Amino acid sequence: MVIKIILSIIIGTLLGYNFRFDFLIENIDYLIDLGLCLLLFFIGIEIGKNKQIFLDLKKFGYRLLLLPLAIVTGTIFGGFISSFFVDMNVFETTAISAGLGWYSLSAIELSKYSAVLGSTAFLSNIFRELMAILFIPFIAKYIGHTETIAVAGATSMDTLLPLITKNTNSSTAVISFFTGVVLSFLVPILVPFIIGLS
Amino acid sequence: MRILLYITLILIGSFVGSKNLFPEKLNKKLNFFQNICLFFLLGVMGYKIGISDEIFSNFNKIGISALIISFFSVVFSIIFVKISCKKIVTTKKESDDYGN
Repeated sequence: MVIKIILSIIIGTLLGYNFRFDFLIENIDYLIDLGLCLLLFFIGIEIGKNKQIFLDLKKFGYRLLLLPLAIVTGTIFGGFISSFFVDMNVFETTAISAGLGWYSLSAIELSKYSAVLGSTAFLSNIFRELMAILFIPFIAKYIGHTETIAVAGATSMDTLLPLITKNTNSSTAVISFFTGVVLSFLVPILVPFIIGLS
Repeated sequence: MRILLYITLILIGSFVGSKNLFPEKLNKKLNFFQNICLFFLLGVMGYKIGISDEIFSNFNKIGISALIISFFSVVFSIIFVKISCKKIVTTKKESDDYGN
């Protein structure tokens, strides 16, 4: 599975780098949306077939909010630690990390402050997504299912939800979606707030 | 708005799944459909990375900083989740697992 995932990305990247198809470039976001919508629908069917999931969600209760809280705290702490290793101040690194994998939004927000900051946010959050794609199968197997959601961050509700679902179970898929929704609400608040402190 | 679309799609899918409205023949191929969609999605995402001159031209200049920030963010988010959320979800695969 991991090899197929890596191959899909490498083939796509090589095609994109070497061949510029106007139709694809103009409609790429629609194609991503189309693939994503189909996947979410199929995942919904899988969830619907397993009624135990909803009982599980009820059982977790307020504890479910612990997960996005832990992800945000851990991520921002990671941004703080990285300020010791890169040529940026602590507010810049934490603001970049607060993108939580949502590269388009965090890059747009931080581009308002500087182009370099915006580009770094874009790349950093792309890297987070790539790390998640590469490591989710290993994390699910050797560390734990909840931790796969931590790596994915805000994208645990959309682009990485299928990968999390395939490597964990239906309960984790529901929690992943819930956590992704909470994190996606937080990103547009956290990024401007943190960079505003600098 | 996008979040609402995603929620709606999952809810429609859940309804279809819970009421067994999805054709039985196709039910068995659900995993196959998911795989096709996943590889298509990853391929298109790769293409998007490939056509982005911004990524390749800035890679040397800011790539290392970006990599360090994403690395620490990922590592500490895993550690914080590991410490605080041990009992939220079971780590044992369920019988409804997708078997990959």
